[in-house]
Amino acid sequence: MGGYRALLAGLLLAAAAAAGAQPVARSAGPQAVAVTVYRAPGRGPGEGMDLRWLNGFALVTETRRISIPAGDSEVRFEGVAGGILPESSIVSGFPDGVREKNQDRWLLSPGSLLDASLGRRVHLRRTSPATGAVRETEAVVRSGAGGAVVLETPDGVESLRCDGLRSTLAYDRVPAGLSARPTLSVRVRSPRRHRATVTLSYIASGFDWQADYVAELSPDGAKMDLFAWLTLANGDETGFRDAATQAVAGRVNRSSASPPRPQAPPLVLRCWPAGTTTSDLEEKVFEKEEIVVTGSRLMMAMEVPMVETPLPPPSPPPAMMARQEELGDLKLYRIPEPVTVAARSQKQVALLAREGVKVETVYRVDASTRGTGSLVVTRVLSTRNTLQEGLGLPLPAGRLVLFGMGRARPLLLGRGFVGDRAVGEKVEIPVGPANSVAARAARLSVEADGKEEWELTVSNAQPAPVRFEAQLMGGDLELTSPTPLADRDGRPLWTVMVPANGEASLRYRLDRR
Amino acid sequence: MRRLLLTVGLAALSAPGLAQSGQGNLAVTIYNQNLALVQDTRQLNLPAGRSRQEFPNVSGQISPETVTLNALGVGIVEQNFDFDLLSPSKLMEKAVGEEITLLRTNPATGAETRERAKVLAVNGGVVLQIGNRIEVLRDDGLPVRAIFDRVPENLRARPTLSVTLETARAGPRPVTLSYLTPGMSWKADYVTLFDEGAGKIDVQGWVTLTNTTGTTFENADTLLVAGEIGGRGGGYDEYGRGYRLPPPPPGNRPGTETPGREVLGDFYLYPLRERTTIANQQTKQVSFLDVAGAAGRRAYVFRNAWLGTLTEAASADTVLQFSSSRDQGLGDALPAGTVRVYMKDARGNAQFIGENRIGHTPMGSDVAITTGQAFDVKIQPLVVTREQRGSRWRTTMRYVLTNARPAPVAVDLIQSGLWGDVRIAQESLKSIRRSAEEAMWRVTVPANGDATVTATFDSRY
Repeated sequence: MGGYRALLAGLLLAAAAAAGAQPVARSAGPQAVAVTVYRAPGRGPGEGMDLRWLNGFALVTETRRISIPAGDSEVRFEGVAGGILPESSIVSGFPDGVREKNQDRWLLSPGSLLDASLGRRVHLRRTSPATGAVRETEAVVRSGAGGAVVLETPDGVESLRCDGLRSTLAYDRVPAGLSARPTLSVRVRSPRRHRATVTLSYIASGFDWQADYVAELSPDGAKMDLFAWLTLANGDETGFRDAATQAVAGRVNRSSASPPRPQAPPLVLRCWPAGTTTSDLEEKVFEKEEIVVTGSRLMMAMEVPMVETPLPPPSPPPAMMARQEELGDLKLYRIPEPVTVAARSQKQVALLAREGVKVETVYRVDASTRGTGSLVVTRVLSTRNTLQEGLGLPLPAGRLVLFGMGRARPLLLGRGFVGDRAVGEKVEIPVGPANSVAARAARLSVEADGKEEWELTVSNAQPAPVRFEAQLMGGDLELTSPTPLADRDGRPLWTVMVPANGEASLRYRLDRR
Repeated sequence: MRRLLLTVGLAALSAPGLAQSGQGNLAVTIYNQNLALVQDTRQLNLPAGRSRQEFPNVSGQISPETVTLNALGVGIVEQNFDFDLLSPSKLMEKAVGEEITLLRTNPATGAETRERAKVLAVNGGVVLQIGNRIEVLRDDGLPVRAIFDRVPENLRARPTLSVTLETARAGPRPVTLSYLTPGMSWKADYVTLFDEGAGKIDVQGWVTLTNTTGTTFENADTLLVAGEIGGRGGGYDEYGRGYRLPPPPPGNRPGTETPGREVLGDFYLYPLRERTTIANQQTKQVSFLDVAGAAGRRAYVFRNAWLGTLTEAASADTVLQFSSSRDQGLGDALPAGTVRVYMKDARGNAQFIGENRIGHTPMGSDVAITTGQAFDVKIQPLVVTREQRGSRWRTTMRYVLTNARPAPVAVDLIQSGLWGDVRIAQESLKSIRRSAEEAMWRVTVPANGDATVTATFDSRY
């Protein structure tokens, strides 16, 4: 591998020298790297990540040591993330500044090699199938657009491989500007030759992260142990070894569209019509395997199997946990040790853990629909994000799984999600429909002036009392009720403790004035 | 003999070991709207009378109808733009009726036999006449090399412009070709480091130009023009996708100062200091602005729609406000582009906190851009009551503002959608009527606390 790299470097230098261009300094990879992952701005708190199509992004900061030649030179940073947004790049550490920054979208591939060789001399090498003798002739590439290769040889004008012979093209050098991996290059001018430590940072698409909460409810249902994973994913072809890794919570505005990714065009040779007198008789795959020269590593669909990670409730305290810092109006979570953010992989680190958080399970209905019949009752895990309740820390958006203990094993009680919750806010997480609490609404009578009488009944099949809340009709409807109603979010709220194995009901009148 | 000549020709052609691009002295002017004006001055040795001159390596997306050609004592007879691209199929099709050379290789011995053949048809397969026989090319699957004598005219590797010229006087002279081409564009990108404690921003401005024309422009004298050129429907971003602009946050005001830039009428000119090669499929950035220590401050804005009510508090927008004026500001006109804002984290590393687009901004402007939403500053707007009184409606709104930060914040709370003659009958805090449509309250929310604003609107609907 090292030999190959050295060879490639030699080729590149030779190319630069031959072209009479400025010298090229290569940086094969970073010495140190930091990655800050941002959540996809448009993804709702309850939506999971799609590992095949990650819509978040990352700020990548790389430190590289390079030797800069004297005079004008080009410095090539190889192995940047493929999803790099080139216009977001910041390069610092060059003593005399940077004259320009460039990113070439084409990677070195059979297709781009041919395309860049248009009008140049190449070597056409033919191997005789009978004798094994290799014959090499000079040729000039006359056309290469879209794999339509026309060569001018000493014999005349020919195609490549339409003749059925074993033949190939050999090139003298890698054309300037074609790199194997996504590359950002800068042009610098330096009065003398020296080594420098430069910092390169850029925004790259194809990353995402989320919080994944695991809550364990105590047997009496009054407390829960809350744990969260910081789940981050890298969908890029470039991995980052031993990276200082952070994640940022909160909404960040984006306005740039993601640019086209670096491409490695494949070479698909095209020939003239090859029909024969027997074409229609046999199903013949015309030397397909030979003719398609694949080079499209990057265009391959990311066949990452969807891993719906089963999250067991954690028992011992995590050995490593992300630390939260303030970052302007956002929250930064720093993973304390360098970790490897591998290419096309997902990683999980403990985000937060709180034991004994006071919670209440509330059964809630939205009774503002005007129909008669049974209503959907939702189980809501309710608490407030304060120290008194056992929380009091920012809660980034993510999904939650709720476990309880039963028959000496954890049981899944529900699944829900929570949005970004600041300290002091109420936290209400719907975790699923109710099974033992039912509610129904009935219109008892309608009077001539449009006044209606309604009854809302709730029944509880549990052997313990439950808290029940019904959000009633509000807005431009006058509502009269014998029991005083609370006001929540501008709408009347009926709150009642439904006795064990019992019922509760509310009669109210609606007046549409 | 023929072979010898060809070999010599080949050697001469590739002697420098490099493709001759054929481009001359290039001057490229790039506009913001996916458009560039290319001026290409080439030295041509013209014979007297009429001659056909080819201009290889013009932009692959050239608008041929915009081509003009200038040379001393030269008239243009006609101009052609050939876009029939050379390929094996085209080569064979153009050879119909002509003779080609076939070179057969014996698969057992490797012996080669050569014969001439006439191409009769290229329809699904190649039908040949060899002497008195009619054959289908490679019908037996054995290897046969088909060798053509020459590349037919009008078949090119790249789209090529050719011009027939007439001149009375033979001899070399400069010929200037100029044309418009899509496929090149530029925009500005601003790297902004925000120091919240000091209330300062450091800004670096870069012009970002992209070339997707299919052609590399070698060693070009490059000029960038900032400003809108007519002739195309707006509403598209740099990748041609439609977008709708949300209303800007308060704090924007166009400036009236003139920067020390080259100006051409309504446009600002940004010449690149040195000649540069604009490669195909390349994104290139060159610095044009570097300002340290300009004033910058953060504001919070929340805009509520008419009768907007939320069961869950929503985050306020985080807005960065700065100026492009000479005094305390960036001191330059800002071409349209993207402002990316960074802040230092606890370890002193710059972290990205959001970005937004700005339009062409004259010097002296006040600029306010939304960079994101505040995690800790939230607003819950509620329609408390809404009742009809005669022909009019009374709507009472309550806005609960919460702040989980350890410092007080000021929030610009905007109630929009006050169409028609909506009046504010009662309010708990004096509002500013920004326009007929919008009322704004400047609300101070205490550290780790909350604040409530109530207002009653008197409206026709």
